[in-house]
Amino acid sequence: MKNLITLFALSTLFFAFGCEDDDSGMMGGTDDDGGSMITSIEISGPSNPTSYNLEVPSYLPGPIIPEDNPLTVEGVQLGRKLFYDPILSRDSTISCSSCHQQQLAFTDGQALSIGIEGQSASRNAMSPVNMVFNPNNFHWDGAHESLEIQAIHPVENMLEMDADWEEVEERLRNHPGYPQDFRAAFGIGNTNELTRELATRALGQFERTMISGQSRYDKVVSQNDGFFTELEEEGKQLFFVEFNPSDSISHPGCSHCHNAPRFGDNLFHNNGLDSVASLTDFADLGLGGVNGNVFDNGKFRTPTLRNIALTAPYMHDGRFSTLEEVLEQYARGGHGIEGESPFLTPFELTPEKQAALLAFLNTLTDEEFINDERFSNPFE
Amino acid sequence: MLLCAALTSAFIFTACDDDEDAAVPSGDVTVNFNALYDGANLTVQSDVYDYPDGSELKVQLFQYYVSDLELIPANGGDAVQLSDILLVRYNNAQEDNVDSYEFNEIPAGEYTGIRYGLGVSPDLNSMDPNEFDADFVLNDAEFWPGNARYVFAKIEATVDLENDGTFDTGVSYHMGSNDIYSTVTFNAPITVSENGNTTLDIMADVQKALAASDTDFHDFSDESQRIVHGGNQAVAADIWERLGAQFTLSVR
Repeated sequence: MKNLITLFALSTLFFAFGCEDDDSGMMGGTDDDGGSMITSIEISGPSNPTSYNLEVPSYLPGPIIPEDNPLTVEGVQLGRKLFYDPILSRDSTISCSSCHQQQLAFTDGQALSIGIEGQSASRNAMSPVNMVFNPNNFHWDGAHESLEIQAIHPVENMLEMDADWEEVEERLRNHPGYPQDFRAAFGIGNTNELTRELATRALGQFERTMISGQSRYDKVVSQNDGFFTELEEEGKQLFFVEFNPSDSISHPGCSHCHNAPRFGDNLFHNNGLDSVASLTDFADLGLGGVNGNVFDNGKFRTPTLRNIALTAPYMHDGRFSTLEEVLEQYARGGHGIEGESPFLTPFELTPEKQAALLAFLNTLTDEEFINDERFSNPFE
Repeated sequence: MLLCAALTSAFIFTACDDDEDAAVPSGDVTVNFNALYDGANLTVQSDVYDYPDGSELKVQLFQYYVSDLELIPANGGDAVQLSDILLVRYNNAQEDNVDSYEFNEIPAGEYTGIRYGLGVSPDLNSMDPNEFDADFVLNDAEFWPGNARYVFAKIEATVDLENDGTFDTGVSYHMGSNDIYSTVTFNAPITVSENGNTTLDIMADVQKALAASDTDFHDFSDESQRIVHGGNQAVAADIWERLGAQFTLSVR
């Protein structure tokens, strides 16, 4: 019955606008308080989105697609356009792709992302790769439960796009092409139905298609295509070793948090970056700043290491310019302060071991992914 | 896939049943997995606990897989499976020490007990995690490198060995392989009443897994005994053995 009532209500809404005398089909003006009303224009064109066939290699996990936002060809296409369109920023100068550039595995090469008017954001741009395998807690601090919720924030963040979603919605409603795109993706019949929720759903759909699984690591390990070099193989052994028979403590232990095939664990750790006097002294509280648990202060999401050679600088604040610096940091084994991951133990990092680990990490670069036309700028 | 097939079969079976009134009387069963430390409710991350060697520790993580959770019918029939796999996990000071699962439409009747496998059953343990969705408990990054064989249980803690108020010694025990998979069985009368709700409390005490007594305990002062990941499983054999033996059950 509830669905029937909804259908009736929508039908009434449709006919109400469909019977508008004005041939233009447009309604507008001001509300009682003198504020601007949302643009209301009928939209015509295709409105039956086609299911999107997401190709996931068998050696990657089953994808997580929310029931309320299934992938469609039109939704993904719209999300791709929005991702690359500076229309989402206050002064129309930057887009999502400004900080998430395909050739850098959708990062930006900056320690801290650069927002409009050259402002520095508070954190390093994460690589939104293989997000379709992340169930929740997106972003460095896990602040966002879904990709859709995450996509709301950069638009409004004054250090990033600094826009007002109401203004952005109006721009999209008045755009010569987007209303038809939203209708094609979500079946809306009027521009007043074009909302930020639909925009972020489209962005979420596009991001879920961004799967990186064709690196040399994947080809050698999962596709029986080629071999690792001797150095890469040595690095692989070091990366994945769980236990050093001659010394149970001294081994890199990378895979504790960066296990294949995701090379991340969807968890949050204090990875020993800062020596602080107490848990409240971290400059950036990370997960603890979101959930209010002081024991989670200083913990950040484990980023995937896929394409890691392309995503410098490293860490949530971009403090390390090179992977060499990262390895040296981990070899020191943290600072022995409360809350640090118990996996942090000092290990010997000879130049040979460092070269081997770097060689292995480079096998995680996915050239096909960073050159995949499906993820490229549709406006070029 | 198996679950889907089972549900489909169940649907077809139900749909073909002419007599709707012939449905088996059933009730609900709630299983609470409680975590304790030395008999008290466990609070991970924040609470400080005494260790028999005189040091203090904070438990950072306690988790274990439960396979084939089953009720054992009193009439000798087939066991009633409540779940094929669960991951019981405590890693947040803001959450309580109870991981609860409710199972519906369990055949009403008398049962003589409940049993489960501690760890991942060999059938499931042979499967590639990528056969499961990324948010399923068997694809939760709880496997050894190589995408095969799961880490059955983890106990991680930070220890103040020097009693200087600093919990700066990490201990981490990751245990699991087919040869240590074990079954926990409780023999206790359990009644599932029609339309009722039976609550079972299963208690796991971290302290009892780490220490058998005030004089028999896992030695954190020995550096080689602090980290068990993969190949040095034997170092944690005592912890695993005690973990499997210390569970208790309470029926409500």
